[in-house]
Amino acid sequence: MKFTAKSFVLCVCISCLAWMSYVRAQDLPEQVNPAASAVAPASSQSAAPVPSGQAVSASNRDAVCTRCHDENEPKPILSIYQTKHGAKADSRTPSCQSCHGESEKHLHGDAAQKGRAAPDVLFGNKKGSSGSFLPSAATAQNEVCLSCHRKDASRSHWEGSTHQSRDVACASCHEVHTAHDKVRDKRAQPEVCFTCHKEQRAQINRASHHPIPEGKMSCSDCHNSHGSTGPKLMKRDSVNDTCYSCHMEKRGPFVHNHEPVSDDCSNCHNPHGTTAESMLKMRPPFLCNSCHTPHAPVQPSLTGQTTPSPNSPGWWNGAAITQGRACLNCHSQVHGSNNPSSANPAPLNLFR
Amino acid sequence: MKTLKRQFGISRKLLALSVLAAFGSAHAEDEEIEQLTRPESSVSVGVGAASGDSRDRAIYGQYNGRRLEGSNLLLDIDVDVVKRDDTMGLWTNFKGSNLGLDNQELNFSQNKQGDWKYSVDYSELVRRDPRTINSVLVNALSTASTVASLATPGTGPNLNLDIRRKATSLSAEKWLTSNLMFEASVKNEDRKGARLSGTGVACMPPGFSSIPCSTITAAMLMLPEPINSTTQQFEAKLNYSGEKYLVSGGYYGSFFSNANGSLSPLLSGNLVNPDGTPLDTTVAPGSTVAAYLQQPVALPPDNQAHQLYVSGNYAFTPTTQATFKYAYTHATQNEDFGGAGLTGAPAGVSNLGGVLDSNLAQFGVTARPMAKLSMLANLRYEEKADKTPLALYDGAYTNNLNSSRKLNGKLEGSYQFPENVRATLGVDYARVNRELPVSTSSIMNTTLSPLAGLREETRELGYRAELRRSLSETINAAISYGQSAREGGGWLSIGTYNAAGAYPVTMVDRKRDKVRVSADWTATDNLSLQFMLEDGKDTYTAPIDKGLRDTGMKSYGIDAAWTLSENWKLTGYVNQGVQTLHVDHNVGYLAELENINTSVGVGVAGRPASRLEFGGDLSFMEDSNRYKQSMATGAAIVGGGLPDVTYRVTSLKLFGKYALLKNADLRVDLVRQVVQFDEWTWGYNGTPFAYSDNTTVSMQQNQNVTFLGASYIYKFR
Repeated sequence: MKFTAKSFVLCVCISCLAWMSYVRAQDLPEQVNPAASAVAPASSQSAAPVPSGQAVSASNRDAVCTRCHDENEPKPILSIYQTKHGAKADSRTPSCQSCHGESEKHLHGDAAQKGRAAPDVLFGNKKGSSGSFLPSAATAQNEVCLSCHRKDASRSHWEGSTHQSRDVACASCHEVHTAHDKVRDKRAQPEVCFTCHKEQRAQINRASHHPIPEGKMSCSDCHNSHGSTGPKLMKRDSVNDTCYSCHMEKRGPFVHNHEPVSDDCSNCHNPHGTTAESMLKMRPPFLCNSCHTPHAPVQPSLTGQTTPSPNSPGWWNGAAITQGRACLNCHSQVHGSNNPSSANPAPLNLFR
Repeated sequence: MKTLKRQFGISRKLLALSVLAAFGSAHAEDEEIEQLTRPESSVSVGVGAASGDSRDRAIYGQYNGRRLEGSNLLLDIDVDVVKRDDTMGLWTNFKGSNLGLDNQELNFSQNKQGDWKYSVDYSELVRRDPRTINSVLVNALSTASTVASLATPGTGPNLNLDIRRKATSLSAEKWLTSNLMFEASVKNEDRKGARLSGTGVACMPPGFSSIPCSTITAAMLMLPEPINSTTQQFEAKLNYSGEKYLVSGGYYGSFFSNANGSLSPLLSGNLVNPDGTPLDTTVAPGSTVAAYLQQPVALPPDNQAHQLYVSGNYAFTPTTQATFKYAYTHATQNEDFGGAGLTGAPAGVSNLGGVLDSNLAQFGVTARPMAKLSMLANLRYEEKADKTPLALYDGAYTNNLNSSRKLNGKLEGSYQFPENVRATLGVDYARVNRELPVSTSSIMNTTLSPLAGLREETRELGYRAELRRSLSETINAAISYGQSAREGGGWLSIGTYNAAGAYPVTMVDRKRDKVRVSADWTATDNLSLQFMLEDGKDTYTAPIDKGLRDTGMKSYGIDAAWTLSENWKLTGYVNQGVQTLHVDHNVGYLAELENINTSVGVGVAGRPASRLEFGGDLSFMEDSNRYKQSMATGAAIVGGGLPDVTYRVTSLKLFGKYALLKNADLRVDLVRQVVQFDEWTWGYNGTPFAYSDNTTVSMQQNQNVTFLGASYIYKFR
């Protein structure tokens, strides 16, 4: 009885699918048309590699995978067809097996192994990224991606970059099987980067910050995570060149330059955020005193803590170098002054 | 993943299709598959309201357009249209966010995959200074503001500063052949507004300057720096990719243009000195102090840079690859002094004639000579030649040139040992050569220069080692240690070589140690944890024991992600970072600065019902700065020392999205942010820090804001 019932169900299924194949072929994307695979014996659809140049689209070849990995997957694998990887008009777009390998053992079983074998290449950065299987080594994963994306000039310096040498896989950051790849969305990208960069996650929540939490800037506005010639994966060739792309007014050269400014903006600023104003690493005068110790020979103090004599021989009182803009109350042109005058307050000392 | 189930049972799809075939059409599943496979577009129209006034929203509303009084009620429109022509592979995208607001963004692009692409972007962004200025400054946002004094601080009108950016960019790329691609982009950004700035003057002791102490002590003015500038960037490049290599060659030009040349304040009232004492009640326009403070302040000059570069990589073998770049940059600055409203240039000099030529060369190689051994070497050389002509800008002294040469090298090897252990050893080298100050510069000729010592060359050599191990299928751990030492050639002692000397922190000897331990643990299929611990210290050594002495950092934290069920997921983190900094001043005070940053956050994402999606994040951050001042002599510190500065922010962000229809959602957002900022930058213990015209600056120390928004999202394909 059981056999009969099961056979009956299967017959009904097959009949229905035959009918469905006709209906759905009219408007479904070719690559997910289950009819192409479901009605045929599995053996006939084994993942025979399609010879290159053969006029069979990658999407047709996907049928061998999508017959099982269908719309009922917990993770919407089929969503890859919403992305550029799933655009069937582009002959370069990959099939499932282009990326995951031919995966013969996964398709046909492996007598030496209990249960279903893993596909040849699995993506992700930890167990659970790819179901119950362990992801492949980062180099193996990345080689698959680079086999196409190596032509992209923005990835020309991937080899040798910090992320590459630390075995960061493309899939550690990118989600390929979804239309919304977080790391390519300006608003969501920091969340991905903060998975590893915890310190920066805290810093952007400080009072003085770039508009990263507000979704108006992202990490990739300054960093090229795929490698660069600059330090810290800076997008341009140096920290300053990267900063100048928005803050060009600081570039000069000026009549009176301030050497640490033209050396490296990060000598004084922490661009990820600080509690001190203007993203300064620490408050003046302490920041300035790191180099200029003979200067401002008064103790930092506050209005209300002390009332120095207005006619004291000192040039400043403690509050004048501590509160407000501190040293910058007078040295307002700390990035450099282009004032050619010699009159006091002397531009030479970056007063004006 | 259901492949295992699939081996032994009948596909759910087969059953579903059977049922559908038996009892109706397959329309539902068609729709489901279409939803999964065809790009989705959406239009969202929302309305939101924020509580409080502009002072409550000072920090919250810095960039999001919700700072101003009139922004309690906002209408927000977001559009995201994605169309794909499947026959041509043509994508058309239109995206707009925050439409109608002053932080709106628009993008339109078309892309024929593998052939061509263009994109047009327009964006606006307003940065509102969280500080509020109280002043009677007239024409405060102009280049010729008039300074009038307030009789009593805090009795004038309020002024809020902002900087408005409007950027337009166009980019395009075209595959000319299957190997050759052309890319070009143009970006123009206009900036208008003002930022906090000012000017000041102080009397100088004999021998430094002509401003006598008997006349004034100090005077400071808050003057907003007016901004009306444009930055432009152009880039065009050709990329050629061969079997084994990629080469890019291009041009990048960047141009800054400022409509404001200088800021010339006019004084029209009496002033007080920084501690509130009347400075000189007889002061009037034209008097001594006015003459000093009315001197024009130079604003950033126009400047431009042109860069030509060639960059790319080459694969000697599949496992040995090289990267390279060469770039030449010619930067100039020749803003006319007179045109900028600046006088006093040396005779015959109308502009700086600034020229800075830079050469950058980089070459790197990565190789896997054995399956288990990876190696990389990288060399980077950057030379900046300041070719600006010298002129006597300060009467007796010339401008100073700013040339440098930097060499950075890196060598690293990584070996995969048995037991899933990977060891990495690295060596880093950095050398900086600076051009010595020209003999005619003030740096070389005044013992009272802010600098007293310079170093022509510094060298830094560092070593690092890392061990990574997969302890099991579920645990990966790593420990790394790095050490470096910077030293240099002899000091060029310009001034008096004594305790009063200053030695730049970028040039003094430095010893650096850093250790880092991290671990990822997938405790169960549903729970993963990350642990991180870092500790580092920099020790500085200069010819004197003043200036920066040492800095330290510690950081530790745990992150967790817990999948409760198919529909619910929790995340959480706890992090603490401690940074210390020890700086000594030659006047005898010592400061042991300490910054303690503590962050805690929990998040939840779930689907309580099939049509309802829910998410929430609660975070708390405290950033505490301690100053710990003391005197080398053991004497008392003025006022007992600087109080702590503490910034606390607690944020709650909740959203719920309900599917009204298959193609329409209703989303509700609730944001609650509480900020406490205990600081003394602009006032202490009820006493404001007042400028010489009694201008004060303030920010409400406790800020509470609640934002509630609702949006209707219509989706279509």
